Amino acid sequence: MALRIERLIARQVWATAFKNRAFFGVLMGIGFLLVYAAVTGWVSFRQQNAMGRQYQQQARQEWLNNPDKHPHRMAHYGHFAFRPKAPLSVFDFGMESFLGNTVFLEAHKQNSVNFSEAGFSTGLLRFGEISLSMVLQLLLPLLLFFVGFGTVASDRETGTLKLLLSQGVSWQQLLVGKSLGLIAVMLILYGPVMLATGLLWFGLLWFGLQGGAVNADQTLRLLLLLGSYFLYLSLFCVIAVLVSARCRTAKTALVSLIGLWLMLTLVLPRASQALGSYLYPAPSKAKFLADIQADVLKEGDSHNPNDPHYKELKDSLLTAYGVDSVQKLPFNYSGFVMAEGEKISAQLYNDHFQRLLAIYDQQNRFSKTLAFVNPYLAIRNLSMALSGTDFASYVDFQQQAEQYRYDMAQKLNELQIELISNQKPGPTDKPHQIGKNHWQEIPDFTYQSPGVASVFRHETISLLAFIFWSGLLWVVAWRLTKTLTAL
Amino acid sequence: MLQAIELTKQYVPGQPPSLDALNLTVQPGEIYCLLGQNGAGKTTTINLFLGFLPPTSGQALINGLNVAEYPQETKKFLAYLPETVMLYPNLTGLENLDFFAQLAGFRHTPDELHSLLSRAGLQTEAHGKRVGTYSKGMRQKVGIAIALAKQAKALLLDEPTSGLDPKASNEFSEILTGLAQSGTAILMATHDIFRAREVGTRIGIMRAGHLVESLSASDLTANELEAIYLQTV
Repeated sequence: MALRIERLIARQVWATAFKNRAFFGVLMGIGFLLVYAAVTGWVSFRQQNAMGRQYQQQARQEWLNNPDKHPHRMAHYGHFAFRPKAPLSVFDFGMESFLGNTVFLEAHKQNSVNFSEAGFSTGLLRFGEISLSMVLQLLLPLLLFFVGFGTVASDRETGTLKLLLSQGVSWQQLLVGKSLGLIAVMLILYGPVMLATGLLWFGLLWFGLQGGAVNADQTLRLLLLLGSYFLYLSLFCVIAVLVSARCRTAKTALVSLIGLWLMLTLVLPRASQALGSYLYPAPSKAKFLADIQADVLKEGDSHNPNDPHYKELKDSLLTAYGVDSVQKLPFNYSGFVMAEGEKISAQLYNDHFQRLLAIYDQQNRFSKTLAFVNPYLAIRNLSMALSGTDFASYVDFQQQAEQYRYDMAQKLNELQIELISNQKPGPTDKPHQIGKNHWQEIPDFTYQSPGVASVFRHETISLLAFIFWSGLLWVVAWRLTKTLTAL
Repeated sequence: MLQAIELTKQYVPGQPPSLDALNLTVQPGEIYCLLGQNGAGKTTTINLFLGFLPPTSGQALINGLNVAEYPQETKKFLAYLPETVMLYPNLTGLENLDFFAQLAGFRHTPDELHSLLSRAGLQTEAHGKRVGTYSKGMRQKVGIAIALAKQAKALLLDEPTSGLDPKASNEFSEILTGLAQSGTAILMATHDIFRAREVGTRIGIMRAGHLVESLSASDLTANELEAIYLQTV
């Protein structure tokens, strides 16, 4: 049969791992963490989505129940947009706990997304969230290093390596066999996680808790996620075996691997983040908002009747309609001014926001590029993107909410232009208002999650990094088979 | 079967070579014992035959094949027994034997494995115990069983009897003699002059990388051999 020697060696790695009592302890510990992570993922998903849905419905009801009103008062009454959690967020919480999921939408103002879990930080987050993805990204590589550090180095230290090689085993067979054995050990933990994630995901979609359905897009995301984690963990198995093969003693192999783990999972990610924001500084939130305000004022103040921009607008309207005062215009003038103001401020906001995003993009791209140095960054970014919990998904929500806000404000301005009298009501008149039946002309906010294609667009670097790492390890292993000796 | 032709190994350029132009032949059925102090070049010779080291010059031949050119093919004819056979402590003696025999391409039934271990002198009760609980002598016997299972034409031994008690050492000698009689060529590095005289057909004495004496064991008593050894090294 194919790979007979390799499978024999793999089975020996497997047997050695499972005859080690300490390994069982660690296995139980990690298994417990995985169960805990799966349960908290499931519970928080259900809670947050139920809450979001409830408040979205409540906000909608309250919106519809508003009495007859002036449309601009309605524009200031505003509405809420809730961001539903993506089904795979049970697996990877990503940045969701730190980014908000609710935004208040009103006229003239682009409010930021609020109410993150961190903002309300209760017990769970302070304790440190544990998601399935975190256990797989951080702890499983550490476990693999613990099991794998001795695969070749111990044999070398005891002299068993010489016996192995004298039996006619080649280095290639040895490295492949040891790696396969370690991958088999890895699957003991990863297999159930894959299964549990699949079931959780399926359960959430099937029972309609998400409101979505099992579709091709979600299935592709799940399969890609499972595949990339398998590749990621296999890379660590191979790294463990190669380092073990290079080291004189098992002790040096262990120390090297733990050092490597600390470097990859703790030092480099933090350093890349800090370096990214140092190289491409982003403005503070206060400065960002002040800059927009300054630009809006430069364009003109819609609430100041003597503002040159709006004076010009007024004069051109009066000329076009051949009237001498705005009250004689055939439509509501202040509604028209508001629509103009909304257009300008939204335009400016979007310009500034795009510039800010470009800076974030540079920062992120810097840290994403470091995936070529660090496979942990590659899986972290890819996993978040596939789970729909990365920064790009958040920005997508923000943009959809802003679009909805703009459409809502402009619709209300339109109602004002058409339906509100141009004459100021006298002190004894009823204030101008329109019927409450108009409120339902504005549809409710529904978030459209972006397709998996957007993941490929944002995470090309991470995917390439995986290919690069697989190739690199292949080349290193190939070179080692030529240079390694038994002594 | 085993042949060294002008075999030379120099670890560090500029330093004197650890093995200098060794010429040596071990015929099938012969037991060649290499004596010499630590660092004389005994282990280097064995590592060169195993292909674990590339020779600086000269050739190590097994069954007429150059080890440096055919590292995998030559290993088929070879069995090797290191000074300490550590094996996998979590596996039993039987499991270890099965594992190493299968690596060499041999599948044995459990009965055959038991009989191999018994032939190597390991008591039946120990076959199913974890190797971690074995004494050095018992592990050595599993090592011999591994060599037996491979039906090797040449056997390389690196100080196999060091640390064995006299009884185990004696049993070991008997097994070697038996193997030689069935046509195996055996090259053994050892410090045990008495044992070398006992089992060896020929005895070589090495000093600083040179084979300085090559004697026929049957012509000498142990005492004479010791006298020559002490003069030589």
